[in-house]
Amino acid sequence: MSRKRVRYIWIPLLIAVIVVPAGFLYVDWNKSGSGAGLYSRQWLPDALFAYWNPDDFYQSVDTVSGVFEGKQCVSCHEGVTPGIVRDWKASHHSNPGNGKPAVYCSACHGDDHQALHLPTPDICGRCHVTQHVQFEDEKRFGFPSHALAMERAMDAKHFVDKPKAEVTACLQCHSVASKCDSCHTRHRFSAAEARRPEACITCHSGPPHPDDETYFTSAHGRLYLAENRQWDWSKPLRKGNYKGPTCAYCHMSNGKHQVADKSIWKFGIKQTNPLTSGNKVKREQWVELCSDCHEADWSRQQLAGLDAERKKAWKKLYRAEAVLKDLRAKDQLYPAAGERPAYPVDWLDSVRPRARIGFFEGQASAFYNVSPIERDYFEMWYFDNLGAYKGAAHGDQAAVSRGHAAMDSDLAGIEQEAKRLRSLAGQEGQEQYQRPDPSTLWLFGDYTEFNKGHN
Amino acid sequence: MHRLFCVGLLGFAALSMAGTPIPEGPFENAACVSCHRQQNDGLVSAWQESAHATAETTVDCVSCHGNSHRNAAVRARRDSLCVDCHGGEDSPVVHSYATSKHGVLVRLEQEERDYNFPLQQANYRAPGCSYCHMHKANHNVSASIRVWNATEGVNSAERERVQDAMRAVCQDCHSPRYITRLFNNGENMLDIGRMKVREAAGVLEQAAHEFSAEDLAGARKHFMRMQSRHLKNLYLGIGHQSPDYQWWHGQPALDGDLLRIKGAVGDLYRLRASKNSRDGNKQ
Repeated sequence: MSRKRVRYIWIPLLIAVIVVPAGFLYVDWNKSGSGAGLYSRQWLPDALFAYWNPDDFYQSVDTVSGVFEGKQCVSCHEGVTPGIVRDWKASHHSNPGNGKPAVYCSACHGDDHQALHLPTPDICGRCHVTQHVQFEDEKRFGFPSHALAMERAMDAKHFVDKPKAEVTACLQCHSVASKCDSCHTRHRFSAAEARRPEACITCHSGPPHPDDETYFTSAHGRLYLAENRQWDWSKPLRKGNYKGPTCAYCHMSNGKHQVADKSIWKFGIKQTNPLTSGNKVKREQWVELCSDCHEADWSRQQLAGLDAERKKAWKKLYRAEAVLKDLRAKDQLYPAAGERPAYPVDWLDSVRPRARIGFFEGQASAFYNVSPIERDYFEMWYFDNLGAYKGAAHGDQAAVSRGHAAMDSDLAGIEQEAKRLRSLAGQEGQEQYQRPDPSTLWLFGDYTEFNKGHN
Repeated sequence: MHRLFCVGLLGFAALSMAGTPIPEGPFENAACVSCHRQQNDGLVSAWQESAHATAETTVDCVSCHGNSHRNAAVRARRDSLCVDCHGGEDSPVVHSYATSKHGVLVRLEQEERDYNFPLQQANYRAPGCSYCHMHKANHNVSASIRVWNATEGVNSAERERVQDAMRAVCQDCHSPRYITRLFNNGENMLDIGRMKVREAAGVLEQAAHEFSAEDLAGARKHFMRMQSRHLKNLYLGIGHQSPDYQWWHGQPALDGDLLRIKGAVGDLYRLRASKNSRDGNKQ
């Protein structure tokens, strides 16, 4: 018996020696295509990607040749692009003080005009070591994250599937992982600027993340709007330096270059258990932060309020999900999964089509090419639910009520529509007439056909 | 000799201007126009070509500069002046700019901003409305704006004219290659939005042969919103470089409209089949 067991040891050994490395090689091979990320072999970058993701796509201009010193760059660019030189001259880089030498263009861009680069966090990190280490370390907290944002964008299935000129908009915000100037705009690179809440709103606005609206409407935000002119923005984000909190004061307290280290409810996108041991540590971190102004009990109540709000929201969302999953199970979605363009980047979907419902099935990549009722749920989940969450997290009660009222109405609409779909499907089954084939409507058209061939 | 003559002429002009003190006002618009037609070459005619002059309610000198010379230029360079007429803070045209990096920087620095400088040569850290749309005091605000057209692209001459006007502005701060790539990307992004609109229009056109206007009212309502709101959001997002208007207020919103139009039309076919079957059974 034992000899027999020994004889079969070659199976796990073979798996370990061949299959595991082969798996790694396969992933590496997938990442070595013309695009970037997990599906890099399936897409070509738009020329503009070079500026949003320089690490993967930037190539130097070759219009000017020669090796230049910083002062020469400045004197020429004063004529070519005066704005950036003016900006740099007003920056810390130009006048670091304390007898330190100025940081010229060449320090970040290189000095060979045929081999210039755009500064990535790694390049900024050569001098700003602490901030860079903190920034990179954020990756271990997972989603949502600044440091992982570019990967998240490029590995999203709808990003791979859609024409690249269309999804360039994604990269502009997700470039927060690839360039420090999303917050410290070039060529001033000011810390004071990045401390202001407005520095965040270019990306943190709009239906899925109305951080701007909810913050500016909250008591914190109203205090900021009323009094910010008297605040000294050159001061670090520490207790006593600011009368009220801003985005960065809470999410990057003490200037720590991480926004995800205290995230408990994960942006409201999926349901989490807010009381795991890890989350309990995070809760205490929040309580400590809030204690700069508030009593601990009060802060704990706020966190419990958020728990309750999320629980209520997920109850509604799961009810809607159940309705959709029931329609899917009974094949009552119209068009059905096989009658519309396949789920992006999934060859299995062309063999065994399946509608994706909810976070864990990847519905975040299925907001187009779906039937109206599925889109209704997407909007309920992605817009109204996230709006309510942001309201609750930022202390904008009106946004919470608005979000929940909208979810109630979405849910009622989804239930009503499901009833109608069921009755139509029922009639078609009983009376045995031809159910009109929706695929001609859904598989053709200017955009749908263009999208098939332009990744 | 020629040079001497020029210097002499300039000197004379300077003296005569110094000799006649500029009156402070108040002025009627007609007075501004008649005097500045002589004082500033092309300024008045540029304004007359602009959408401001041809609009139903004319936006004239006094509307932006006030009726006095005091602070006239400074007053007109501020964003707040444009915002009042262009729909207020919440209108897409204003909000798309306000959430762009340009808009954010202007908002953060407006307190310390000195509006005494001409709108050129990167005299301002970030461009406000007037810096781009009235660059170098070009009073034709439409010069750098692409004509809004929901379904078709502009012709190449128009595109070139607008791109040249914009390039002259952007290059105060940005590199030529970046500008070119932004333009190309923007054109393509807008074209993709138009494809979605055309696809929806095609669906509706086909359906119009088979169904009544009343039946199609719901789908048409989506189509109106698609064309006049969401495609326009995309256009504004590209023009003002607001990622949120390009994306959430733009492309996925257009996707939603398109699939709802298809859904509504698909329903009509389905209901008709059901009705025909019932009618058939009755007979």
